[in-house]
Amino acid sequence: MRGIININPEIRDAILESGGDDAIKCYSCGRCMAACPWNLIDDLDYTTYRFCQRIKLGAIVDSEAKEDIAADTDEVFRCIGCDSCRHECPRGVNLSDVLRAVRRILVDYDSYPAELKGVISRLYSSGNPLGESSAKRADWAKDLGIPHFDGTQEFVYFPCCLPAYDARLKLVAEATASLLTKAGISFGIIGEEEFCCGEAVRRVGAEKVFQSAVNNNTRVFQKFNVKNVITTSPHCFKTFQTDYPAFSDIQIMHVVQVLHQCLADGKLKPERPFKKKVVYHDPCTLGRQMGIYDQPRELLQSIPELNLVEVPVFNREFSVCCGAGAMGLWRDWPQDQRLVKIRTEQIFATGADVLCVACPYCLQMFEENFKSMNVDIEVMDISEILFSSLGQ
Amino acid sequence: MDIIACIKRVPQTAEADVKIDSSGKDIVKDRLQFDMNESDTYALEEAILLKEKFSGSLTVISVGTFDAEDTLRIALAKGADNAIRIKAEDFGELDGYKTAQLLKAVIKDLKHDAIFTGCIATDDYYSQVGVTLAELLGMPHASLVTKIEIDGNTVHAYRELEGGLLEHLAMSLPALFTIQTGINEPRYASLIAIRRAAKKEIKVIGKEEINAEDIVSFSSLEKLFTPPVGERAEILSGTLDEIGTRVQGIVKEKGLL
Amino acid sequence: MAEIFALVEHRQGAVRDITYELLTCGRKLATAQNTKLTALVFASPADKIVESIQERADRIIVMEHGVFENFNAEIYQLALRDILEKEKPHVTLIGHTAFGYDLCPALGAEMGIPFATDCLDIEFTGSRLRVTRSVYDGKLDAHVLLKEHTSYLVTLRSGCFTPEEVSLATEVVKQESPVTEQPEYRKFVDYIEAAVGEVDITKADIIVSVGRGIKEQANLPVMEEFATAIGGVLSCSRPVVDAGWLPKDRQVGSSGKTVKPKLYIALGISGAFQHIVGMKGADTIIAVNKDPNAPIFNEADYGIVEDLFKVVPVLKEKILDAKKLKG
Repeated sequence: MRGIININPEIRDAILESGGDDAIKCYSCGRCMAACPWNLIDDLDYTTYRFCQRIKLGAIVDSEAKEDIAADTDEVFRCIGCDSCRHECPRGVNLSDVLRAVRRILVDYDSYPAELKGVISRLYSSGNPLGESSAKRADWAKDLGIPHFDGTQEFVYFPCCLPAYDARLKLVAEATASLLTKAGISFGIIGEEEFCCGEAVRRVGAEKVFQSAVNNNTRVFQKFNVKNVITTSPHCFKTFQTDYPAFSDIQIMHVVQVLHQCLADGKLKPERPFKKKVVYHDPCTLGRQMGIYDQPRELLQSIPELNLVEVPVFNREFSVCCGAGAMGLWRDWPQDQRLVKIRTEQIFATGADVLCVACPYCLQMFEENFKSMNVDIEVMDISEILFSSLGQ
Repeated sequence: MDIIACIKRVPQTAEADVKIDSSGKDIVKDRLQFDMNESDTYALEEAILLKEKFSGSLTVISVGTFDAEDTLRIALAKGADNAIRIKAEDFGELDGYKTAQLLKAVIKDLKHDAIFTGCIATDDYYSQVGVTLAELLGMPHASLVTKIEIDGNTVHAYRELEGGLLEHLAMSLPALFTIQTGINEPRYASLIAIRRAAKKEIKVIGKEEINAEDIVSFSSLEKLFTPPVGERAEILSGTLDEIGTRVQGIVKEKGLL
Repeated sequence: MAEIFALVEHRQGAVRDITYELLTCGRKLATAQNTKLTALVFASPADKIVESIQERADRIIVMEHGVFENFNAEIYQLALRDILEKEKPHVTLIGHTAFGYDLCPALGAEMGIPFATDCLDIEFTGSRLRVTRSVYDGKLDAHVLLKEHTSYLVTLRSGCFTPEEVSLATEVVKQESPVTEQPEYRKFVDYIEAAVGEVDITKADIIVSVGRGIKEQANLPVMEEFATAIGGVLSCSRPVVDAGWLPKDRQVGSSGKTVKPKLYIALGISGAFQHIVGMKGADTIIAVNKDPNAPIFNEADYGIVEDLFKVVPVLKEKILDAKKLKG
């Protein structure tokens, strides 16, 4: 244990300079801590309300002792950017962004969780966190007859990394592309030249790698004169709108919005019954962060015989994060200290047959966890459910 | 105790697509992350632990171009007191022997009770700089060290041999140790140390201080090439179920169960 | 013509495999240069070691003394320098093992003899020596030319030459050791065996081995369960041990155990040579890796380019079925 807090104005200034100025707004009321899902884990005491105060004093990751530094660093890198705290904060502090400012400094000094190193290095060298070859980025679409975007189509469909490469998530990209085709939407894909949107790598503090993603995608989007984009991942959806300055005149839509519009326009007609009890999990980035709650629910309700249920209390803006954000997908927290475990129990209690998600991270996280907890609930992306209910 | 750690900045190639550039002697680097060489991070940590235990000073040295100063600064933030960059750009093509001579030229004028290096660099894979440097400085060495204990004037160094066997040596200081990965848990830097490190001056030594004519190399790179493909595995393709059935057939047919 | 020398490596009284590889490589060079191959034995006792390499070299120089009982780089360096100064061989081959690693660079630096470490192959090009080396985490190979000199030292990577049976007329020459005691500044104390855990992977017929690709410790139980279900044991590559996920006695590779099971299933192991040398003797190797360019596929008999977490459940089911049918 350390004694009295040492005040280091220099540390404070460095953090504020690297983007943590929201810290100033905080008055340590503690509502963030009450809202933080990590504190649903009994053994944890994630004192989020202290971060800003400690930053203002410059008393964060300030020890000289190896163990104390490690403990502090782990706390700084625990936040998965669900923004539950921001939603509760009376002062509108964006705490995950404040922590990102601290991370940026630490990442530059090679002081961050070891399990993230490989992911960041793969993302930088191959444009995706899996280290797959960019030449194979369009392979998922090979048999679907989807054109390469050349400016004559209205939309670019941007599946991002996991749906482009992962065998399970490719099915989501396929279902989405098939739905768009059925609805008569004119779209193409960028394929090989597409680069990870970089949202997660930005949140984790690897700003230089994020900037290389921005430069890549900006260059390619400008080359093809892209005007409208449809994303599968809420993470691309958000970061393209908020962190890509050159995208300000590009319309970015999440696939849920597009499908909802197609339904309203009568371009898609769910006819086949889906006789299952379905619970919808609000992805943090789509719900709390981008305010999209009703469209996915209305989509599901339009499907005949689908019985939509909710997780009591913890739904919509109170949805509990799956834990995959800010590269949480790649973290190695002890099994009994995982957010996905809490969420799985809540979902299991609804008695649903199917968990519906609208984010590739959530899908990956739940499917893996259901397997390891022997939970017999099918995980489906909303586009997969909708696709299965279309008539021939 | 005065301690020296030699570190190297290397491209992270383990999980990257590595391509040869147009010169045929180097790789395309613009899409690679650069970090401290893996075993050097363990060598640095071992040096810091020793310094913390016995007090004294720790100097880190790297032979590298300007970018290597970022890596030296990381070492300063983690616990080194001084940092020196030997300007690689002043000395042409470097092999392990030449690198060791450059290090020697600087270290011979510094006080040193113990020197730490990583056991292998993941770029050139030479695994020779540490042991060569020890010889040039006329000091004993132990390579591939996975444990060090100091007992009075005796250093017990444990070298990693084959088959999980360790060689236990009793040595006296000064000595040089090349450190194997896994010996310790490399630390994070604290923000206070990062601020300190950001302001520290890194000493730069080049051809004005070291006479390049005295420094020779033993070898030169002729060319890089993609390794010849040997008899590769038969890749089982198809759906997961088809692949599984093939494996089932293989284990049955060969009686592997 | 100056000769080719090969340093015999032994540990605890037994000649190590690398020695036969050095002798094979040495004979290739000697034939090409139309010269002779000499093996150097520093040992105590030396008889058994000399006998093990009889007929594999034209000449064996033996130094027998108690100081050579256990390897100590400092002593070997003194003895080798003595012989090299007298005999002036063209090339001296040493294994790129924990033994050669500790010895060769110091000897080369002391004597001013150009040396190359961790070589896969060696050839003469005119009067210069060209070596092939593996660089950038094994992703590329390099040709390196050594500086023109009358003598060279080379350390050779394990597993690059296949030992060949030959029957040469071998002359055995005894020489006095120039060293008679261990130097004060570096003394061999003892060998320490790795603690023996509950599982001896070297005795298993079926091994499931995991590498970096398993991502996290939490995934180990599933792998262990797979191994047990198919009647095997779980082993791993170095990064898994470095991370503290499995004990050292489960590590396969140059610094771990050498295994020769009937079936070796490598999951998420890229195939660094340090790992390959420990498992290449397996009868059948099946490798699962997402990266089609992973070096492991050069060693495996069968490759599956897929996510190991998707493959494992399928393999488990299918192999269990096969077992049932058999039982």
